[in-house]
Amino acid sequence: MKSNVAVMADEDTVIGFRLGGIKEGYPVKNMEEAGKVLEDLINKDFSVIITTEKIGIEFRETINKLTNERALPMVIEIPDKSGSIKRESDPMSELIKRVIGVEMVK
Amino acid sequence: MAQEMIEGINPTRMELLKLKDREKLAVKGHSLLKEKRNALIMEFFNILERVKGSREGVEATLQEAYKDLSDAQMVMGDLAVTKSAMSVKESVNVEIESRSVMGVVVPLIESEIGQKNMVQRGYGFLETSVKLDEAASKFEESIKLIIELAEIEKTIMLLAIEIESTKRRVNALEHIIIPKLENTVKYIEMRLEEMERENFVRLKMIKKTMEME
Repeated sequence: MKSNVAVMADEDTVIGFRLGGIKEGYPVKNMEEAGKVLEDLINKDFSVIITTEKIGIEFRETINKLTNERALPMVIEIPDKSGSIKRESDPMSELIKRVIGVEMVK
Repeated sequence: MAQEMIEGINPTRMELLKLKDREKLAVKGHSLLKEKRNALIMEFFNILERVKGSREGVEATLQEAYKDLSDAQMVMGDLAVTKSAMSVKESVNVEIESRSVMGVVVPLIESEIGQKNMVQRGYGFLETSVKLDEAASKFEESIKLIIELAEIEKTIMLLAIEIESTKRRVNALEHIIIPKLENTVKYIEMRLEEMERENFVRLKMIKKTMEME
């Protein structure tokens, strides 16, 4: 199965990824736009959607619903140019704790 | 001790046989599910080894890439960088296969992201700065790492969901369904024995009265 990678982020990030060779860049300026573009992207045949952590936080529910239901597309959140957001708890280690029952030292 | 039982069961031999079959099935299912759970958890640990540090790696590479990008924007101007970015050729080729871990379909990504040299990238040399080349190569590297991370995180997510539901099933079988079945079997056996004794006594009594006449 051949498939594509899409980037949905702020303009600078999109330009960066274009330089890196991903042509499917969708620059968004505000969160309302991001919501619309996200829905669009989900219905297209992308297999990996790269987005920023800020957008990820805003649309946590939509993304979770989507990623739990289907194997594709994968949504991955990356920090934007202002650096990564400090989170109280890493969702990944939270998940691991729930599954294994004990805290894993990462 | 008040014991949980299955409601609405008639204490008959037929039901007893049925229940014993169900119990056998439940025990078998329980041991199978337990094996499945153990295998899933083993797989989970294997993947945890891989995820270690890879997020940090992505973040570090991206930071450098962003820095080079903004340097390039400073040297060349926003518009020129945007223009150059537009003319970069599509080079990310991702192929998604799937792999099955104990019935859980997890993605297996094969990406072809070649590090390119300046000529292959497709923008002109004249109006671009060396910072742009650096930014581009850093972004190429980041994309590779990001796609790898996406695969790992997705796999972990899918495995975790499956482990949770398997765990719940194992526990339900072990602590609720199997004891319930056992208790019901015991109850029916007791009732049947009791009925047999009653019958025996009844027969004796009838015999006695018949002899008396």
